[in-house]
Amino acid sequence: MPGEIQLEELTKAFGEHVAVAGIDVEMPPGEFFTLLGPSGCGKTTTLRMIAGFERPTSGRILLDGNDVANTPPHQRNVNTVFQSYALFPHLDVAKNVAFGLKYHKLGKEERAKRVGEALELVNLTEYAHRKADQLSGGQQQRVALARALVLRPRVLLLDEPLGALDAQLRKNLQVELKALQAELGITFVFVTHDQEEALTMSDRIAVMNKGLVEQAASPKAIYEEPETVFVADFLGVSNLLAAEAIGNEGAACAVRIGDRVFHCRQGELDARGEVKVMIRPERIGIEQHENAGEERLPGIVERSVFLGGSHEVHVRVLGGELLKTMVANDGRELGVSIEPGAAVSLHLPPEALRVLRPSESATEQAGIEEETLKVQAPDEPQPAPVPPGPPPV
Amino acid sequence: MTWLRNPWGKPRWLALITGIYVLWSVVPVLIAIAFAFNAGRSRTTWQGFSLRWFTGETGSVLHDPALRDALEHTLLLAVICVAVAVPLGVALALGLQRWRGRGSGSVNSLMLLPLVTPEIVMGVALLLLFLRVFPGIGLGTEAQAIGQVTFTLSYVVVIVRGRLVSIGPEYEEAAADLGAPPRDQLFRVLLPLLAPAIVASAAVAFAISIDDFVVTQYLSSDASTTTVSMLLYSNARGAPTPALNAIATVGLVITLATLAAAFFVYRRFAGGKEATSLATLEV
Repeated sequence: MPGEIQLEELTKAFGEHVAVAGIDVEMPPGEFFTLLGPSGCGKTTTLRMIAGFERPTSGRILLDGNDVANTPPHQRNVNTVFQSYALFPHLDVAKNVAFGLKYHKLGKEERAKRVGEALELVNLTEYAHRKADQLSGGQQQRVALARALVLRPRVLLLDEPLGALDAQLRKNLQVELKALQAELGITFVFVTHDQEEALTMSDRIAVMNKGLVEQAASPKAIYEEPETVFVADFLGVSNLLAAEAIGNEGAACAVRIGDRVFHCRQGELDARGEVKVMIRPERIGIEQHENAGEERLPGIVERSVFLGGSHEVHVRVLGGELLKTMVANDGRELGVSIEPGAAVSLHLPPEALRVLRPSESATEQAGIEEETLKVQAPDEPQPAPVPPGPPPV
Repeated sequence: MTWLRNPWGKPRWLALITGIYVLWSVVPVLIAIAFAFNAGRSRTTWQGFSLRWFTGETGSVLHDPALRDALEHTLLLAVICVAVAVPLGVALALGLQRWRGRGSGSVNSLMLLPLVTPEIVMGVALLLLFLRVFPGIGLGTEAQAIGQVTFTLSYVVVIVRGRLVSIGPEYEEAAADLGAPPRDQLFRVLLPLLAPAIVASAAVAFAISIDDFVVTQYLSSDASTTTVSMLLYSNARGAPTPALNAIATVGLVITLATLAAAFFVYRRFAGGKEATSLATLEV
């Protein structure tokens, strides 16, 4: 199946600013691949390099094995859905969709048929002769989709296409987009900063931060088995505790948190010294204060937020750190007070504790941060030139 | 000062002062136009309504050779000016928009220079240029056209670049993405989107050319290169007839009609907000 993209050592620098700092990513054909990260992490620049709008500083972009890094965008068999859709305002919907077909050698009838099919695919047949600005945001988004898909690209690039829509529409379109991708079998490369969007739609997610890919894996693996502190923190809610890894005990890594020793069964079990221990709020058990001992950390409830389906309980534990826990609102008696001020005991089971190395990536990141923060110096303000005096006569 | 105490009240003082100002600025023009239709030779005493200064047998705009030639020459210069300045200005605006390297900043401010240079300075400088540096061109129609293009070009660049900035690079990228080679990105997408700005800048260039006096006067050679504005200036103190008012009225109507047409074209295609900003720039 065509539509495979491989990025090799891909780098893009704008002057001093390194937007993408040498990434290697494999995007298998036919998958819904998401580039996820905070703004400025390099995800959009990466997408723009795949589309051909930016020329890589170095590295290769392989589309089905051919390096297209220096191919201009109009000669690449990939199409883009822009964040602002970029529908041509001087053309109606049908002409927008037909725009790119001019460059495919097609008969007039075939062209009209393809346009009709594309509009049908996105349920916009009756809007064919409207101007783009007479459509709602969601409809515009679908025109943009039809305009790209009508060309039958090997890869469809989507740059935060749902960003401008309201929450409800967004949810519906997430489902529609995913269904469409599964139906067409085209590789989708989707850029978003919305973790929920990424988790619900993707076959595979690459989490980017400061121009680098932190982790690329399935949504479940990214959530359940984050490899770096950044990934753990960016996706979902995480508790990250400073700890000291002191040695292996069987299949577990013993870590010291404050004056207590816990056993972790996830993550970098061979780490030694300063580490971060991560646990998801929903995996922490909240128990009576009397249940001290193994796997337990005592604390005082500081805040308790009712979220409808659950309570989020913030507990200040021994040693001063604040842990978030989730208590499901499932009608069962908790047997513990979660009012602020209540003394509780938190149960941190070994299989939910994950050891992450903070130091290595942290220093590396700090180095890059300094570099990325150096914004290109603006042009020196030029003094306005003096009007020339009359030439000597 | 009631508005000091009551900020929600109607701004009566503002309305009054604005009204007085508008009256003050418009009334002289209206009087001048009115006397273009005077039946007598006087430009100060009303002697009844007539179109003799527009179409009469003698001394009218239509039949007096001096007046008619001046009007024709004015329109000729305006057409040349638009035909040269607009394509050149659009190309320059596109080029400047893409130029990201060293020196683009200073060129940008240089482009604005003709807008702020006193016209008399430019007139003198151009006169010396054609007398001393390019004597081959010499004074006359060519020099007048080149002179007008020199400073109307800035207006074209400013208007077209403004539109380019608001269009942004995304439509071109979308066109490229859909397979359009650079030529088609320009002709199928960018120029249609720029059309309102191009029309507007053409109208502005046309109006400026018709109105221009200083540069056109400096670069004129003989009577055949006299324009309406020059004629008005030189005859105002001689033995003026209402024919001067009539030719001024014709010039004014052409200018206003051009600008109004451009304003409506622009508003039709680019939305009211930008049209308003264009109108403000114009006034």
